[in-house]
Parts: sequence; structure tokens; C-alpha cells
Amino acid sequence: MPRIVHGAVTVEVDDDGFLVNPAEWDDQVALALASTEGVETLTDDHWKIMNYIREYYAQFGVAPMVRKLCKETGFKLKDIYTLFPSGPAKGACKVAGLEKPTGCV
Amino acid sequence: MSEPLRPRDLARPAEQLAAIPDGGLPPLPHPYEDWPDPGVRPLSDESRARLEHSLDGVVGLKIPRPDSAAAREAYVEQFLAGLDRLLDREANWTFLQPLVLSLENCVKCNTCADACPIYESSGRNEVYRPLLRAETLRRLVHRRRGRLARLFDRFAGNDVAATWETVVRLADLSYRCTLCRRCAQSCAMGVDNGLIAREIRKLFSQELGWAPDELHRDGTVKQLVAGSSTGMNPAGFRDTVEFAQEEIAEQLGMSIEIPVDRQGADILVLHNAGEFLSWPENLQAFAILFDRAGLSWTLSSEIAGYDSVNYGLFYDDVQLARVGHAHAAAARKLGVRKVVIGECGHAHKAAMAVGDRTWLGEDNLPRESCFTLIAQLLREGRIELEPGRNPFPVTLHDPCNVVRSMGIVEPQREVIRAACPRFREMTPHGVDNYCCGGGSGFAVMSSLNFPDWRMAVAGRKKFAQILDAFAPEIDDLETPKYVCAPCSNCKGQIRDLLDHYQAWERARLHYGGLAELVVNALKGVPEGFLDWDEIALAK
Repeated sequence: MPRIVHGAVTVEVDDDGFLVNPAEWDDQVALALASTEGVETLTDDHWKIMNYIREYYAQFGVAPMVRKLCKETGFKLKDIYTLFPSGPAKGACKVAGLEKPTGCV
Repeated sequence: MSEPLRPRDLARPAEQLAAIPDGGLPPLPHPYEDWPDPGVRPLSDESRARLEHSLDGVVGLKIPRPDSAAAREAYVEQFLAGLDRLLDREANWTFLQPLVLSLENCVKCNTCADACPIYESSGRNEVYRPLLRAETLRRLVHRRRGRLARLFDRFAGNDVAATWETVVRLADLSYRCTLCRRCAQSCAMGVDNGLIAREIRKLFSQELGWAPDELHRDGTVKQLVAGSSTGMNPAGFRDTVEFAQEEIAEQLGMSIEIPVDRQGADILVLHNAGEFLSWPENLQAFAILFDRAGLSWTLSSEIAGYDSVNYGLFYDDVQLARVGHAHAAAARKLGVRKVVIGECGHAHKAAMAVGDRTWLGEDNLPRESCFTLIAQLLREGRIELEPGRNPFPVTLHDPCNVVRSMGIVEPQREVIRAACPRFREMTPHGVDNYCCGGGSGFAVMSSLNFPDWRMAVAGRKKFAQILDAFAPEIDDLETPKYVCAPCSNCKGQIRDLLDHYQAWERARLHYGGLAELVVNALKGVPEGFLDWDEIALAK
């Protein structure tokens, strides 16, 4: 399996760069994952989005739909793309330590 | 055209049997004369070392490279044992008859090659000739019939060695066909190469445990545990429904209840759960439509009861039956009189046609397509349309499983002609349609360089058809155009195609479902269900 090495952190990721073992996720792993998305620092705005995604995922088994994410966090879709250039699913969810989205999405 | 390939060539020890050459693909119509076809990205060294890629350098199935000759030999033995079971009446009670007919009746006229969009769109790359895949299986089967058959094949130059290379390439080759069955329709003998590809996939899944993660581990297995292939649990489903109700209220000022687990309702509606996450407006449109029509209907929050997908259809009979049973159980629990399948092509075939073999006894409830139901509501005057509210050009993509596999062709047209004054057909369409290129699960197989292949080769014909359908307005950037793709899988593929080819920027192409067009024109519903300003903003 591919690995990401960032500073002192080494984590195993899948072929699309999503974390293989969700239990490994922490602030430092988030930074390592963010670096693969061209994001070098995680601001409060990044964390607001990631925290909402993680809470929703823990409760419902899935990331929130984009419209709900925007509504609940107050960010416009364009803002989310500015913060996470690959967008909510491939970018924000990845850095938040979720698995790759599955099903006909 | 590439060099001719014969089934015995699959055993050739080469790192790669074929490749998609950069710039070697058929040209696309206007305005894509200058499109710099990026082709298929080469795999990284890490992927090449880890995963089998000896067919065409494309990885979809992700077969790990075995580390020893003994391990490879063991897989070959498993394959050969599986081949025997594929031809056994008890083991393959589901599809043996059509498989045997397809194995025995081919006259090798190659009409299938001309019907195949993948063969054509690859620049007639010989590795994708439908006959290569079918004939390899045919000869491996023949070989099992004893020494005399083997001797005969050798004299005729037809021998195929059952080596690791043959087996692994055949596995990958079964995932270079979208199971669209256009070839079967064109075959004078009724040979179904789509079925052959599907049965090869089944052999590998059931006997060797080889199946794409997206279809198996993250597909049917997840669906049967979590409730949906998306991972959405029943609480997540309820949250989604509540949010949809809020959205309708906010956007249109309408109070619409989306019923969940309503005991004794007439109809259980099975939607593809991918809609809830990626196209929630489809869920909303159906809710508004059925509410206005006064139907007695409900959704289910049971395991698999809120996700119509049955990826087993694409690769595995055991999973196909398990998911089918879960769907039937959800319907029986609610005591509904009928199950209606939403805009998902393979769910139509899995529940309605193949379901006749799995929804048995008291499970065997009537199943109906949403397309015939909406057409009937329109015909009976239970809904009325104001087509002037859809003034933009519209074309219709036919999901293969709905038209070719089910014969449902006219009802959706009846609806779209009534709802969209600028509707025009693609050429060809109906049962002669071309697959979107995402069929048989390809739309959700989005890892490594498989999406490159799906965009450049599998979906190329469909994208060209879409451009042709809008040729009169294609340069008019003031006019948005709508590709109606009433199937979640096709919709995902067409979204990816339009993104990949930057079709909004170049030609203002957008896509969506059928129910959305109906509700956008539905009398009694405030205007603006389709919000073009918002669509443009999201691009």
C-alpha cells in the first residue's frame, strides 16, 4: 500500500490517498493528508468543516451531502473549494480521515 | 487498428499485451477538434510492482501480483475448477442456459465488434474485440472436454493454454465490457457477449474472490451490513429525508411530507441511495410529484430498503440473491401492494427481471418502473404540465438496463415530450442506444487510471452523441442544455464526462434526471425547481 511521509508522521493510504486505518487519524495525520492536497496549514475554517464532517460521519456512517455541509457550516461551495482544492468529497473528507466515498455517488 | 490478437495470445509472456496510444482515438465532434486527448495515465512504479496490469496497463480489478509460481498455479487450478462449476446445472442454476447458448451458437461473423462502443472508441484496439473475450472462454471450456478436443484445437490452431497470464488477462478483460449488450442485440444468432463477460466476472468473484472493491467490499457487503452501499445507516437516511423536506419548504414554500415506513401504503419506492447524497433534488422531485398525484406511497428505512442498488447483478450471483432478498423483505414488512423502482437502470433489471428468480413465493410482489408510472399519471390527468417552464434544449440518454434489458422505451419519451418542448433524440437511441460508458459498475470504479480509460474510451461514444444531439446550439453559450440521464450510475458517468471534457465551459452542457424536469414544469408547483443560476454558480 502507498504511504505518506510528512515530518515525523508516516501513514498508510489507499490508491486514492485516503487513510486506510481511521483510528490513526489525529491533528498530525490531518496535516500529512492535507499536504497531499496542496494545503500546508489547517486554519479554523478548515477545522470547522472537518469537525462537522467527522461528527456527521460518526453518527450516520456517511459524509453529509454537500448542500447540508454548506448550510450547517455557513460556507459556500466555492469557499470549500478554496480551502480544499479537490472539493468536499475528495478533499475535505480525505483530510478529515474518512474513507473514500462509496456507492453510486 | 492494432495487431490482430487471438485467444492463445493471452498466454503471451509480455508485461503488457496492449496499450491505449496517445492521440490514437477517434476524433470528437465540434467543438472538440482541438481537444488534447490526455489518454490513459501510466501507472506508478509502486502500482506496477503491486498490481496485475498485463492486459492493457489499466487497473480496475486490482489483482495483487502473486509472489510465487505456486501461488499463481493455485489460482489457475481454482479457475479451472470454477469453469466446471460455471457449466454445472446445479451450481449455475441462474444463467446456465443463456450461457451455453451463447457459447455454442457463435458463427464468428464479428457483427458484435461493429456494435461495441468500446471497440470502436478505442480506435478498434484488438484487445477489446468482443470475440477475443468470448472466444477465449469458449476455447478454455472446449479444452476441458478432454484430450481429443485439445488435439483438435491444436491442429486447428485454436489452442489456448490455461496459464496464469491467460487467467489474469481474462479476468481484467471481463472488466473492459460495460455489459451494455448492444452486441447481443445485433447478433443474428442471439449470442450475448455481455452475459459471457458477466459470467466470467462471476467465476472470478465466487471462486477466486476477485471483484472490484467498489462493487464488493464497499458495495454489496457494505450495503447488507450498514444498509446502503454509501455507508449511510438508517438514522442517516432519516436525517436525509428530513433535510429534503426542509429544502422543499425553503425553496418552493411547499409543505411536502416524505413518508418513511408507512405501514400499508400502496407503493414502496426504491431509490438508489447515491441520489440522496449526490442528487438530492431527485428524491425531492419524486416526493413532490407523488404528493401532487395523490399516490399512497412510502420509503423504507430497513437494511437495503432505502438503497435500490444491487451490484451483484454485475459480478456475483450469491450477492445478487442476498441483496434481492433484502429488498423483498423490506417490501413485505411494509405490506405494500407494489414496488416502484426509481431512476436507477441496473436496479430495474435486478429487481424486475432477474428478481423473478430471487423474489420467490410470497416475496414475489409486483414491481414497476417509475417511467411507466409517471407516464400513466400523465395520461390519466393526475398531473398536468406547463412545458413552457422548460424552454431549454433537452436530450435523453437511455440507460441500457431500462431500454435494451427491459424493453421500457416509450413511457419516458411520452413524459419528456410532454415536459420539454425542445426535446430531441440522440442518434441512435432506444434499444439501439450507446452505453454511457459507466455501465456495470464502471461509473463507481474510480481508482488509479481506470477513470482515464472510462473517460477516453468507454464514454467517448456517448459524449460524441451528446455533442451531436445539441449541434444546432452547441456554440451558443447563452443557452444551457440538459442531458436527461434517468439512472444514478449513468448520471455519475455523464457528470464525470462533462467535467472531464469541460463541457459546461465549452458548450453549457448540464445533466440531471427525469423527475426534475417533470417537477420543474408541474402545474401547481411554484416555478424555479431547476435553478439555473445556482447550477451555473456551482460549475
